[in-house]
Amino acid sequence: MRYVIIGNSAAAVGCITGIRKVDKENEIVVISYEDRCYSKPMIADVLIDYPDEKLLYRDKDFFEKNNVTQILGHKAIKINPESKVVILDSNEMVPYDKLLISTGGVPFVPPIPGREKEGVFTFTELGSAKKFKKYIEENGVEKVVVIGSGFIGLEVAYYLREIGKEVIVVELLHRVLGKALDKRGSEIVETMLREKGVQFIFNNTVEEILGEEKVSSVKLKSGEVLKTEAVVIAIGVRPNVELAETARIEVNRGIVTDNHLRTNVPDIYAAGDCIECIDITDGTRKNLPLFPLAFEQGLIAGLNMAGKEITYLGGLPLNSLKFLEKPVLNAGIVEPPDSTYEVLVNDKFEKRGYYRKAILKDGKLVGFVAIGEIDRVGILTNVIRQKIDVSNIKERLVSLDFGLVDLPEEWRKEKLKEDKTAYKDWRPVG
Amino acid sequence: MSKKRKLMKVYPIEENCISCRYCEVACTMVHSETQDPVKAYKLEGLLPRATVEVKGAVSLSLMCRHCKHPFCLDACISGAITQDEDGRVRLDEDKCVGCWGCVLVCPFGAAHPHVERKHSFKCDICEDRGFPACVEACPNRALIYDFER
Ligand SMILES: Cc1cc2nc3c(=O)[nH]c(=O)nc-3n(C[C@H](O)[C@H](O)[C@H](O)COP(=O)(O)OP(=O)(O)OC[C@H]3O[C@@H](n4cnc5c(N)ncnc54)[C@H](O)[C@@H]3O)c2cc1C
Ligand code: SF4
Ligand code: SF4
Repeated sequence: MRYVIIGNSAAAVGCITGIRKVDKENEIVVISYEDRCYSKPMIADVLIDYPDEKLLYRDKDFFEKNNVTQILGHKAIKINPESKVVILDSNEMVPYDKLLISTGGVPFVPPIPGREKEGVFTFTELGSAKKFKKYIEENGVEKVVVIGSGFIGLEVAYYLREIGKEVIVVELLHRVLGKALDKRGSEIVETMLREKGVQFIFNNTVEEILGEEKVSSVKLKSGEVLKTEAVVIAIGVRPNVELAETARIEVNRGIVTDNHLRTNVPDIYAAGDCIECIDITDGTRKNLPLFPLAFEQGLIAGLNMAGKEITYLGGLPLNSLKFLEKPVLNAGIVEPPDSTYEVLVNDKFEKRGYYRKAILKDGKLVGFVAIGEIDRVGILTNVIRQKIDVSNIKERLVSLDFGLVDLPEEWRKEKLKEDKTAYKDWRPVG
Repeated sequence: MSKKRKLMKVYPIEENCISCRYCEVACTMVHSETQDPVKAYKLEGLLPRATVEVKGAVSLSLMCRHCKHPFCLDACISGAITQDEDGRVRLDEDKCVGCWGCVLVCPFGAAHPHVERKHSFKCDICEDRGFPACVEACPNRALIYDFER
């Protein structure tokens, strides 16, 4: 038996962890075209010269201890499911018995004229982050335009301010994090970033990137021309499904898997940013490119690959804006889609520096936002996950001291006395 | 996986808790440089890893459950959180980058943020000490140290 994992990031490490819970013997091979297992969410730290070794997510020791062989610096270009081999760009053939595809995401780059010029970057890999940093240094870049105000765009903007660069973020919507955060939340985030010196242009987008070989300015949809020495495109990521398609694996909004993370091709599993998964807050299938989900899916896939049948419970979208002085956390639905949802707010941001908001439907919590004071909000995350009835304690949900004493005694007994904390124990109650 | 792990941890008994918060004080003290409860809080800026919750007549002290499926491990982007063979969940405060992912997902609210210091912290079952200080400090047997169930 030989397990092969394509990708060497969150989902891959989850998968190794899962396999080794069941199978300590058989060989595991990990393939990645990158040279190490680093933490993707931390790559913006290269802008402030954070030491390289600190960006490591799992070190050599982890792979040795788990008896994993790494094939690094090589791209998998084809999977042949009939003969059960992965073909690398070196023409090497890697045979597998069970295969995990965790090829992650690729940056989405819209067809903006001029996007091929020097000085235009995406920001989703350590390599691209380093190239950007080098370009800034070698060209004495002082001014940068960031396209997109999602998590990555804002983080890049923040760190560029940290090293004293002038930054303008251009956003198509009328506010930051339009898809991830509620209106009040994004207002608070915008204020914090403006205080840091980040500039914003909303309801607008870059129509053309101008310059000879190198970027010298961008032309906006509004007609305005902004001088700039570099451009970062951070509009979003899309699932990297190219390799999966070589094996005729079904792809929709990402690789399609069943609730054991199996693809439609025998013995091939998939996990992480490259798949489509069920959003447990609304039951729809979508691509949720988030670190904790990638790890979890990898883990569940790994357990299944090693023969331990276990059902994936689905993904809960959640986020932590990790670079600001004040933490900004959210999970589930943050803006009520219609009037059947109930909203509770505890906004003391101006006076006491915190903001809490809870969104309910039919007596169940479906989402929250917590800014400033965040201790113990994971209890809320689990209330969403387990669909616990909170109709009697609604007001408590936005209170800072909401705790386990607010939950049913039966729940506490099961979790605290009986240690029901295995994966399946976190299924929705009732 | 279903076989029992040989892990000892702290169990709260809510019927016995009188919300005196001795556990919180003891926890802060033994994790401090000075080993002094007041200095630990005032000078070292330390916070307790156990949380005493009170609602009406009900109270209990709560700390990391060292979950069989630790959501904090899934969420940890820096690699600071790891799980030992015996099930113990570790949080390396030096490796932690303060992304608050663990705070966001811990179902027990047991991974706490230290916002000023930019790292989170949680119960380590007093591994440097051998026996949990909170259990020792509790005057009413509302905390016991026992094998995992
Ligand atoms: C700047 C930035 C900040 C982020 N911040 C956060 C955050 O704060 N919170 C959060 O939840 N998420 C964040 N994310 C998202 C998070 O990083 C991803 O959800 C997570 O890394 C997904 O893990 P993965 O294993 O699915 O894939 P990836 O991390 O994308 O890894 C893909 C792996 O596959 C390899 N690979 C791909 N194709 C091939 C091939 N053909 N052959 C060989 N190897 C291949 C790559 O080398 C890589 O090792 C951030 C992402 C970025 C870019
Ligand atoms: S920090 Fe929370 S999620 Fe992690 S092991 Fe402890 S109780 Fe479980
Ligand atoms: S706050 Fe620290 S320990 Fe918690 S998830 Fe982030 S890096 Fe890991």
